[in-house]
Amino acid sequence: MRCAESLRVQAHFDGELDALRAADIERHCEACAECRELLKDLAQVRTALRQDLTYATTPPALRARIMRALDQESGVQSPRLNAGRLMSWRSRPFWKGAFSGIGGTAIAASIAFFLLAPPLTNPLLDDLVNAHVRSLMPNHLIDVVSTDKHTVKPWFAGHTDVSPVVADFAQQGYRLIGGRADYFDQQRAAVVVYQHGSHVINVFSWAATNASLPKNTTRNGYHLAFWKTGNLAYCAVSDTG
Amino acid sequence: MDDRRRRFEVLVLPHLDAAYRFARWLSRSPSDADDVVQEAILRAYRGFDALRGADVKAWLLTIVRNCHLTAVKQQQRRGSVPLPEEHDAQDGPAMIATTADPESTSIRRDEERTLDRLMSALPEEHREILVLREIEEMDYREIAAVTNVPIGTVMSRLARARAALKARWLQEAEGEPHAVR
Repeated sequence: MRCAESLRVQAHFDGELDALRAADIERHCEACAECRELLKDLAQVRTALRQDLTYATTPPALRARIMRALDQESGVQSPRLNAGRLMSWRSRPFWKGAFSGIGGTAIAASIAFFLLAPPLTNPLLDDLVNAHVRSLMPNHLIDVVSTDKHTVKPWFAGHTDVSPVVADFAQQGYRLIGGRADYFDQQRAAVVVYQHGSHVINVFSWAATNASLPKNTTRNGYHLAFWKTGNLAYCAVSDTG
Repeated sequence: MDDRRRRFEVLVLPHLDAAYRFARWLSRSPSDADDVVQEAILRAYRGFDALRGADVKAWLLTIVRNCHLTAVKQQQRRGSVPLPEEHDAQDGPAMIATTADPESTSIRRDEERTLDRLMSALPEEHREILVLREIEEMDYREIAAVTNVPIGTVMSRLARARAALKARWLQEAEGEPHAVR
């Protein structure tokens, strides 16, 4: 025989009750051994499912197939590369675009920084990856939605401490989709957001300190590439799909 | 690339993995799931303009579910009734292929296999509600929208599904630990 409150106990477990009714149910559970047992079962099943059920992600081949089908549907002629393509990170067109756009000084500066870069374990890396992941949560990605660099760049003036290069790499398949203000390294950093296929690339920029930038690296599956232009430090963060 | 396509990629494609997982748990085979997901994304793209600030994930998963139901109906009309249960159970581990974590111990993989198999053996309406609630972390209202039933039904079905999984799990633990397939 099930306790008549069992569905409400479950609703409480699922966070569906308001505070008043939740308190009600908690009082009930203090008195009802059956419902206490139910709560334990519910938690056990949840933990098992979340920990031990295979958590699949879309296979790259399927993702590519879907992107091609979408291209066809939207009348795009040239077949795109697989959105989850596995090209080596630095050989990507984006970096060519980034470097050519910013100029030779940037290349020189980056090379210098790659050579001078300190070893790993830098809190900055964690900050960047965290900020990137946070940005992928609903409604966190973009503060100013625009594909126009002349809209995005001025927006930063009032919202961040720096005014970064906002380039347009649409030709290379990396579309500007907007900008965002983010807070890390004790300052209001500017983030330019690009998109490639279904992948989001956050390019962070902040006023560089004297400390040298970390090496390009991969952390928790996200790739980080650093460079410096003038007194601004840049880091692009993305996944490879 | 036009603006519509761009908006679609920003708003809808982040939920592709959820759509894929859902389809994998609904469909009888991985290739069926692939077809269902692709069809669902295309349908979503065509119907994208009708989406007005609704919950995108619930909207997409609803389409996935409808595509799955259509595919099943078509298969039945063609007379190829898919084999139940065992088929899924064997496919379970294949889902790991793309996400294999080299760090995970063999014990963890065993548990994954066991749970995948237990889940596969549940009726479809139990499987789907467990995935929506526990894996995709949707609330009752969203689950009601996706599965097209009233919230009261969501609550009772969810309770039955959880109890059923727990029961099979206990059976498994008590049953012949060496003879499990």
